[in-house]
Parts: sequence; structure tokens; C-alpha cells
Amino acid sequence: MSSEALNIAEKALELAKQAGAQAAAATVQRYREVDTTWRDGKLEKVSDATSRMLTVQLYVDERYGSMVTSDLRPAALERFVADSVTMVRALAKDPHRKLPDPATYEGRSTEDLEIWDPAVPALSADDRLRRAKALEAGARDVKEASRILSVTGSFGDYSAELTRVTSNGFSGSYRNTYVSQSAEVSVKDDDGRRPSEWADASVRRLAALPTPESVGKEATERALRRLGAKKVASGTKTIVVEARAARGLIRHLIAPLSGSALQQKESFLEGKLGAKIAAAPLTLVDEPLLHGALGSRPFDGEGMSTKRRPIIEKGALRSYFIDTYYARKLGVAPTIGGPTNLVVPPGTKALEALIKDVKDGYLVTSFLGGNSNSTTGAFSLGIAGFRIERGVTKEPIGEMNMAGKHLDFWRRLAAVGNDPYVYSSTRAPSLVFDGVSVAGT
Amino acid sequence: MRRRDLLLAAASLGPALIGCGSEHAAAGPAPKLAPPAPKTRPGLGLAYFSSFGVDEKLIREGLAAALSRGAERADLYFQHRVSTWISLEDGEVNRASTVVELGVGVRAVRGDQTGYAYTEELTLDAVKSAGATAAVVASGPARGAPSSYRTGLLTRRFAAKVGWDGVGASQRLPLLSELDKAIRAGDPRIKTVKASLGSEHGAILIVDSEGRVFEDLLPMAVLYASCTAEENGRRETNGYNVAGRAGFEFFTKERLGRVAKQCVDRTTVLFQSVPAPPGEMPVVLAAGASGILLHEAIGHGMEADFNRKNTSIYADRIGKPIAKDLVHIVDDGTLEGARGSIDVDDEGNASQKTLLVDKGVLATYLHDSISAKQYGLAPTGSGRRESFRFPPMPRMRSTYMLPGPHDPAEIIASVKKGIYCERFSNGQVEIGAGDFTFYVKNGRLIEDGKLTRPITDVNLIGNGPKVLEKIDMVGKTLEFDEGGWTCGKNGQSVPVSLGMPTVRVASMTVGGRKS
Repeated sequence: MSSEALNIAEKALELAKQAGAQAAAATVQRYREVDTTWRDGKLEKVSDATSRMLTVQLYVDERYGSMVTSDLRPAALERFVADSVTMVRALAKDPHRKLPDPATYEGRSTEDLEIWDPAVPALSADDRLRRAKALEAGARDVKEASRILSVTGSFGDYSAELTRVTSNGFSGSYRNTYVSQSAEVSVKDDDGRRPSEWADASVRRLAALPTPESVGKEATERALRRLGAKKVASGTKTIVVEARAARGLIRHLIAPLSGSALQQKESFLEGKLGAKIAAAPLTLVDEPLLHGALGSRPFDGEGMSTKRRPIIEKGALRSYFIDTYYARKLGVAPTIGGPTNLVVPPGTKALEALIKDVKDGYLVTSFLGGNSNSTTGAFSLGIAGFRIERGVTKEPIGEMNMAGKHLDFWRRLAAVGNDPYVYSSTRAPSLVFDGVSVAGT
Repeated sequence: MRRRDLLLAAASLGPALIGCGSEHAAAGPAPKLAPPAPKTRPGLGLAYFSSFGVDEKLIREGLAAALSRGAERADLYFQHRVSTWISLEDGEVNRASTVVELGVGVRAVRGDQTGYAYTEELTLDAVKSAGATAAVVASGPARGAPSSYRTGLLTRRFAAKVGWDGVGASQRLPLLSELDKAIRAGDPRIKTVKASLGSEHGAILIVDSEGRVFEDLLPMAVLYASCTAEENGRRETNGYNVAGRAGFEFFTKERLGRVAKQCVDRTTVLFQSVPAPPGEMPVVLAAGASGILLHEAIGHGMEADFNRKNTSIYADRIGKPIAKDLVHIVDDGTLEGARGSIDVDDEGNASQKTLLVDKGVLATYLHDSISAKQYGLAPTGSGRRESFRFPPMPRMRSTYMLPGPHDPAEIIASVKKGIYCERFSNGQVEIGAGDFTFYVKNGRLIEDGKLTRPITDVNLIGNGPKVLEKIDMVGKTLEFDEGGWTCGKNGQSVPVSLGMPTVRVASMTVGGRKS
């Protein structure tokens, strides 16, 4: 870990102690983020900045508060810590607020998670520009290029370091990098609409990126497939959710799995540990130590060492996401405050094979808006995609919606594909649901 | 880093890291006219930021660095923002958090090309270095920094009468404790209450390469409350939130009482709720927060960056009819004390009231300085940014529809079978295809012209231009929503407001389900 970040964090702990805190934790994050955007034959935007942030959690006379600042001038920081301690003293006591049990710091993984690539901070402005241009070149290298209204290619890279120390003995640091190639393409439809689509590849290591041309090309192909999208009749149908969109569905299960939702009576999954909450094809695992993955980390936001944790196994609920505070309030052991990499182990069939099994239904390629109620499990989501008839993908559909209640919906999961979307910390394959209520005309 | 997300949300409870009557301004002045030039006085009049070490030398050398490779324009955007939250859970105000942001963003512009950098150190070396980084968007001989300055005298649309930096925790705490008691007293079925009270204070300073200088104070008051009630094993959660550009005086007894009552009523009514039906049907939007429809169906599509890039469904429709002539839509940065109000936008253009749709005809886009230059028009004061970490782009402020001729009761009575939408949590739009959604938290079925059973958790989906054409009744009374709306675009969040009279959409897809 860099000595500068550690010095800042330790200085913050010292200031907290001087101001009257009995315990404290300090986290220093430093990152450089560069974005190079190329649009329609010229540079649109280049931004480049190095930033830092200090977060201090204060435990004062059995009371709790936190402070975040980017203003690290010594006098300003000292005053801010003192003011924050004063504010915390005015709060009500909260006996459940304590630093994690140091035992949870033990057993931290020492393996190389492959989340840092020195080639990322070493990228030159020319490297970035070449890739951003190539995104557009790939997007325009298609047969129906005359339909294209605009192509935007973005190359983004990020390198960061996180350092955390606590007054009860935790000290840890890790670095990570992130690179992203994304393309967005707008095309002209005959009715005046201008549908757009995107493709993206986000990874930890430069060598793991596909060619920018292939990402650009995928974006155009997806956009062209949207031409002529129509709303069709309401009904109860089989739905195939493409892997890229499926992660959105998985994410709706996270809020009701949190310790906060359970303790506040805002979870339809309360009391369901061990029970079947989904059909057998669904297994969901939190995998913090997956090499090269976007959510990997050796310790969580509180410093607790991370480990692989099954959340749902063959449809049965195995674990919640419970941090130290809500664990104390609920009287249970903490797990982890939130997901790292959420992995749905893939099935055996490719997307085409899943579609082939559908007599009458829809392929959902994206969701638009909508929401999910963690207390009742009701959800309603805008959808776009394609009609499926006797195993064949037909015309594009849009301006439609699907709705249900999670406990019913996930029991209708019929199959999972072999095609997990890897450019996300939620790695879900395509999912097939039977008997879903769809609204259209 | 996804670039296409356009989300509007009444932010959930707590600090998120990381959602009246107005006279009928018939056809207002032609929107192509320039906004009145802000009054200025000569010189670099720094008030707030001089105490952070910002001076003429730092500004001059920062701008000179940004212009060092031939950019046409450059600006510096200094910001100091202190956000403080206190939160209540399980009957106790037992957590607080404060976030301090201090920094400067440097932008260099050449045509529609932007170079951007920022630093959190307000030192000469750091600002010059950021300027040099932003400068690379251009390649040519250096241009000079301004040799003189004019400081803008702003028309103030808001002020903190009781400034937040003088309001300690001991003054804030009782508000949440009393709110908790009021909500619990509202109904015995209420089991849990959560509430957060937030404040922002601080200032921005904009200096550009033409020597224009603007300094503005930006207060904000926010309160979120939610509760969970239980009846016969069934649980329901709902909430209410209020926000405005104001100081501590914002939290009057009357306002807190309304928050408590709304929180209780909106939650307990859900015990009677039934699933909304799926499919197309007439939709009546209640006055107030229904302005979310305008924000999604047309507002984003009228942001000129999407139009100069030719990617908006409205890209070739200026001057063309898009709705019936009873439809007038406004985006307004000048409402007194509104969450979405600004005195000056984040690139130094005066705030204004912009008529987007005039008698059903598309009148003007929302412009920042880049798009205004490309279209040869005056900026509309719509260039906004989340913070010094981001360059500005065209954004909405307060978006609403002007009142029309119909009695709200008559509008409801006109529908045989449909739904009535009152309260919303979030929305989203696809700019090019024009499809948009908004999510209803409280509504009612309309059966034979009468409001009947409550509905909740239903997403509505439509196509912007098609839905605007189908607005065929507009109520007489415009109401502004007081909620804490936050709009997300290309990874930047900004506060916005909404307003609407009661409106009928002849037909729209309701994302309900078979019960």
C-alpha cells in the first residue's frame, strides 16, 4: 500500500481520537479516471482527473456518525473531524454500533485476484484515441451502414487504490484497474423513430478486452435489429431474458436480502432461509475472489475478509447480506454487507437452443424503467425485444411491459443458458420463465 | 460508465452515494430571443471563494493553461458543497453523515469538442496542471486569458433565511423525533418508520475566458420519510419526501405535518390495493408529480445535445405540431425556492423560463453553450453539471404543463374504464426510439367515471410523441410537486422539479398483471 494513503488514514484516526472518539475507521480512496469519447469522425470529449476521498467512521460515547471529504488541508481536516465528533455527540445512543469483531478480519485472501493491470495506468492518449476510433470504424463496417445516424465510441479507464485502517487493528489495501470499451449507435427507422442500441466490454485487464471493432459492430447489429419495433397484444407468455438483461432481474433480489430490509420489516424474503424461493435451475453464489472479475475484493467495506458464499442453491435460500450493524440488531452473525460478484452457474443450452424450445413467447433484450417492491415482492418492468414463434425469433417488439410477484415469478424459471454476461459483476446467463403476465395493446 | 441511462427518481430513503396556480402564459415571447443579459459590474468580485485561496492569479493562469493549445473557450468551475444528513430508525436519531466537496473543474472547448479535468487542490500548480490536461482537446497556438473581468449580478430565486452552517444537530434532531411520533400516532398498524433530514450549503464560482464571473450560493433542504405497516400478516411500505432550495426555515410545522400524514395515508391505503390490469387504456394523471410524464416523454428528448447529435426522436420537429393546441410545456429554472431552480446555469448563462411546446407546437430545445452555438441561438440557461467533477450538458430544471380548460372532476368522469395515477417513484426514457416509462406508487382504478380501488407498483409505458398526441384534456389548476426528484443522465445527477395540471391521456399501456 502507498505510504501516503496510509499516512492520511492513520492521521485521520489520530484526529478522531484527539477529538474524543473511542473508536474509528478511516478509508482513503485514490483514483485516476480517463474518458475518451469519439463521435462521428471526431473527438467529442476527453476528460482526465486524479481524485481522492477520505471517509472516517466515528464511534463516540456509544454514538455513531461518518464523514467524507476531499479537502485534506491539515487545518480544514482537523476542524472537520472535530465538528463531526460534536455532531455525533448530539445523537441518540446506539448500542449496536461497533467496529466489526476483529475475528472477521482474519483469513484474508492473499492470492493475486488479477484485478490490477499495470498496463492500464500506462495507457497513452494515443492508445485511447486509437481504440475509441476503432469502436466507430467497427460500427460502420456493416452492410446497412446508410441507416446509421450517429456512432459514439467511448474508451474509459480507471485505476484506483483503497486503503483502510481501524482503531481495533484492521489494516488493508488493494488496487484495481478497470477498462471499458462501449459503442452506441443510432439508426433511422422508416417511421421517424431513431432507435439506438449499445454494446460494451468492461474488464479489469487490458488483454481481456475484445477488439474495439467487434464491440462497435455488435452495437450496430443490435440497433438495426430494432428497426420496425411494434407493440403487440397483452397476454401470458413464455419469456426468454437475454443474459445481458438478466442481471437486472437478479439485482431486484438483492435489496430484500439485505440486513436492513429484514430488520425494518421491508423484505418479502424474511423468514425464508432454507425455503424454496425459486425453481431448481436457479443457483446464485457471491464470489468475491473470482480472478479478474469486476466485483472481486479481498475484504469488504468494513474490513471483513471475503469468501465464497452460496446465496441460493437449486432454488433454496441459503444466505442474506448482513453487515455488522444489522447483524447485532437482528442477533445473528454478519455475512457481508453487500454482493461482490453475483454468479449464476450456467446451464447447458445456448440462447438459440433456449429460443428453439419456445412455442409462443418473447425474447427480452432490455428493460426500460420499472421497479420492484422489496416489501411485497411486486414488480413491473418495461421490456423490449423480439417475438418468438415456434422456436424462431421474429419481429422486434417494444413499448411493452412485464409484471409479477417475485416468489411466484422465480418459481416459473424453466431453464438457464450457458452464456453468462461477463462484462458485469452480476454474471447471469439467459433465463427462461413460463407464464409471465405481459402488457401491450 | 454506461452512457445512455436517463433516470428520474425520488431518491430512496437516506443519503445515496454513489431519485399552485400559474397564469396561462399564452404563447410567451418567441423563444428564439436571447435571455436578458445578466447585469454585471466591472472587476473580479470574489466573496465566498477568496477564503479558499482563490485569487486573480490562480484564475488567470488556470484559464491561460486551458487556452494554451488554442481552445476557443475555457471556463473554471469552483465548488464548495457541504451535505449533512441525520437519520432516524427504530425511534432514534442515531446516525449522521457529512460530505464535503471542494474542487475546481477546468474545461476547454473547441466547437463541439470538450477537454475536461478537475482537481481537489485549489493551488496554483494543481489548477494549471488541470488546465493543461483539458487543453489537449485543441492543437494550435495559445489564446490569451482575459485581461479584465465583469462580475454578474444575479437575480436570486432562493436563499437560506436560516443558513445551514449555523444549524447544529441539536436543532435538527427534534424534527425527526416529532415526525416519527406523528407517523406512529397516525395509524396503529405502522410498525417501522425511517426518516432522513438532509441539508446542503456552499457555493459555486464560474469564470470563463470572456472574463465573465458568477458566484452563487446554493442551499438545499431535503426530508425523506417512509414507513411499513402490517395488517393480518400483510405488509406495505411507502413514503413521502419534500425538498427545496432553502435553509432550516423550510421545515415548518405545517410541512412536517403534511409529510407525516402523506406517509401514513399512502402506506395504509395499500391494504385495499388490487393489481392494476394489463394493457392499453385511458390514463388520468393527477395534478402535481405527474409532471414525470413530461420529463420522460419530451423533456430529455428536447435536450439539445441529443438533437445536435441527431439522435433524438424530436431532432427534426422544431416548429411542427406534436400535440393538441391545449398543450403548453415549460422548463423553468426561475421558480421561487424550487429544488430544480438555479440563478445561473453551470456555465454562466442566466436561468430562464423556456417554452418547449407552445399551443402544441414544438418551440425550442434546451440549450447549453455548445449546442446554442451550433444552432446559432442563445443558450437557454440549461447547461448544468452534478459537480466540479463533470462538464456541463443540457439538463432540465422544473418541467411542467400550463393549465388548460377542463375541470379535474370532469376529466375523471369522462373515463369509463382506466386508471388514475397520483404518486410516482421513478421513470426512464429511450431518447431515439422515444419509448418511456414511469412507475406508479399510488393510484386508483377508474370504473364508470369514478375513482374506485387503490393500485400500486405498476409501470406505465408509452412512446413520447404518440402519448403527447393523445393528451386530450388538461385541467384548470397547475400544481407543483414538492418532492426531492433527482435526474440522472450519462452518469451525472442533478436536482429537478415537476409540475402538472390534471391531464387525460386517451390511451397508454399499463403494465399491470392478471389478478
